[in-house]
Amino acid sequence: MSMEIILVQTVVNGLMVGMIYVLMAIGFTMVFGIMRIVNFAHGEFYMVGAFLFAILYGSNDVPFSISVLLAVGATALLGLLMERIVFRRFRGNELNGMIASVGVALILQNSVLLMWGSSSRTVPPVISGVLSVGGIVFPWSRLVVIIGAIVAVVSLNLLIGHTRIGRAMRAVAQDAEIAQVQGIRVDVIFPVAFVLGVSLAAFAGVLMAPVLSVSPFIGLAPTLKAFVIVVIGGLGSVPGAVAGGLLIGLIESFAGTFVSASLSEILQFLVVIAVVLLRPQGLLGRKEREA
Amino acid sequence: MNPPTIKPMYYVGVAVAVVLAALLPWFAPNQFYIHLATLGCMNLMLVLGLAIIARAGQLSMGHGGFALVGGYVSALLSMRGWSPLLSLFIAGLVAAAIAAALGWIILRLRGVYFVLVAFAFSQIAVLLALDMSFVTGGANGLVGVPPISIFGHVLLTKPQFYPFALVCALTTLLLTWLLYRSPLGTMMAATAENQRLTESSGIDTHRVQVIAFTIGSGIAGFAGALSTHYLRFISPDSYTFWESVSYLTMLVVGGRDGVLGPVVGVLVLTPLPELLRATEGLQHIIYGAMLVLCLMFVPNGLASLVQTWRSRQRVAGTGAAIVAEEVT
Repeated sequence: MSMEIILVQTVVNGLMVGMIYVLMAIGFTMVFGIMRIVNFAHGEFYMVGAFLFAILYGSNDVPFSISVLLAVGATALLGLLMERIVFRRFRGNELNGMIASVGVALILQNSVLLMWGSSSRTVPPVISGVLSVGGIVFPWSRLVVIIGAIVAVVSLNLLIGHTRIGRAMRAVAQDAEIAQVQGIRVDVIFPVAFVLGVSLAAFAGVLMAPVLSVSPFIGLAPTLKAFVIVVIGGLGSVPGAVAGGLLIGLIESFAGTFVSASLSEILQFLVVIAVVLLRPQGLLGRKEREA
Repeated sequence: MNPPTIKPMYYVGVAVAVVLAALLPWFAPNQFYIHLATLGCMNLMLVLGLAIIARAGQLSMGHGGFALVGGYVSALLSMRGWSPLLSLFIAGLVAAAIAAALGWIILRLRGVYFVLVAFAFSQIAVLLALDMSFVTGGANGLVGVPPISIFGHVLLTKPQFYPFALVCALTTLLLTWLLYRSPLGTMMAATAENQRLTESSGIDTHRVQVIAFTIGSGIAGFAGALSTHYLRFISPDSYTFWESVSYLTMLVVGGRDGVLGPVVGVLVLTPLPELLRATEGLQHIIYGAMLVLCLMFVPNGLASLVQTWRSRQRVAGTGAAIVAEEVT
């Protein structure tokens, strides 16, 4: 393989992984920004989404679009349930909310393990073939992931920036109390934000299922990644999550191709330490106001 | 409120518990119970380490990472001919030194960032253990770690090892109790209660938190090393994120205030995984459910139930005294 092809493939892989991380990080940062909860169970919703998709599409031949809808919808419902039963009680209480989310992560991961076993499943590719532009080929299976993720991010941006509920969400993120005084029903905004975040995670899982194999243990790594990206980009900042996600995806892809995968993890850790030291509010985040 | 006075009854209770724990090898029906008690001792040390960090208002999701570092340090040193008794302490010091450096950098920030970096650190520790296979044996880990020997007494069997583990755990318990009653302990509690107010009283809260993190992680390193010499084996899987989570569960279920909480949490939760070995998933679900339910309904842990009961008794007692006074 020529250098050019390797480079292009590395970039495509980096963008694909990066976009998945972006989806994870946006949901994570939204839940934190609005509910002040660090959700350690975020990656488990990714796992549940991927698992449901693998069962529906991979094992039972349900049509693709229906599988996507069902997998994301069912995960969103699960998220709503968890918000109702658990997370609602801990909003604003950062420490206990975080610990509770760890409990939820344990429950979700091991329920899937008990129900469907620990063996990993592979999902047949949604699309095959390649797109060739000027002699360089791009596999469609990876482009689909990138395109799907871009569509999700853009529609979320429209929702947050240009709808009533989006405006209400931004208001609650700034100051829940003042928002309530202005007549925003905070009790509705919290579950909406949580379910949106969970749905993004589930959608990321669905997109990744055909590319990676699916097992009950795949949730922790994306949680860590979302965490890292959000710290790099700035807690609560959506543009920061996009920039950070793409950065981490590309670092991972390049380091993985040319050096080694664990070096890239260590590199990311050092980037985090550097950001925390030099620019604690994150690359694109605003300084937290002193409460 | 007056400082809690310690009643003689309390000392008797503690003494009885210690004697019962020490006599366990004689009345345990089989070695399995001794094994469980040994694990409990090591869990207690790890949870106490976590409790000290929590006492200063922080939460470490990377506690297992420090135990892993300690385990590897002690295993590698003792396999190169160092006395395990010495390498245990070196392991604790190395873990403490890493925590001090890391804490100094990250503890200036708000809680969430600290949690992330500690969490990421533990992941890096696992990765390094996997990757540097020329030293650490990679995924296979290190087999045949030498046992601990004290003045020529080799602690090979379970009944031989248990008293040593118990002494270590009780010493840690005593030191933690003394720490909580010292001025530093008061500073830690004040920092957790209200960092700004404490800062404005002239206390360097950053330093207090770094010290708490250093002590707690050092204990984790020591306990990880102890466990490595007991099992005579360590691998990257010995202390994963989920081990860190289980220490956190024990702490939260038992209670975060005082030293009684960790003891209760360890007593309740250590036997559980061993009894449910066959269905590994179920055990974790029970851990998760207990964690969430405790936070919802007993946020101060099971140990706080004892305290509430005791203070109710005290209130009832003073009430009766007042009534008696009025009558006379």
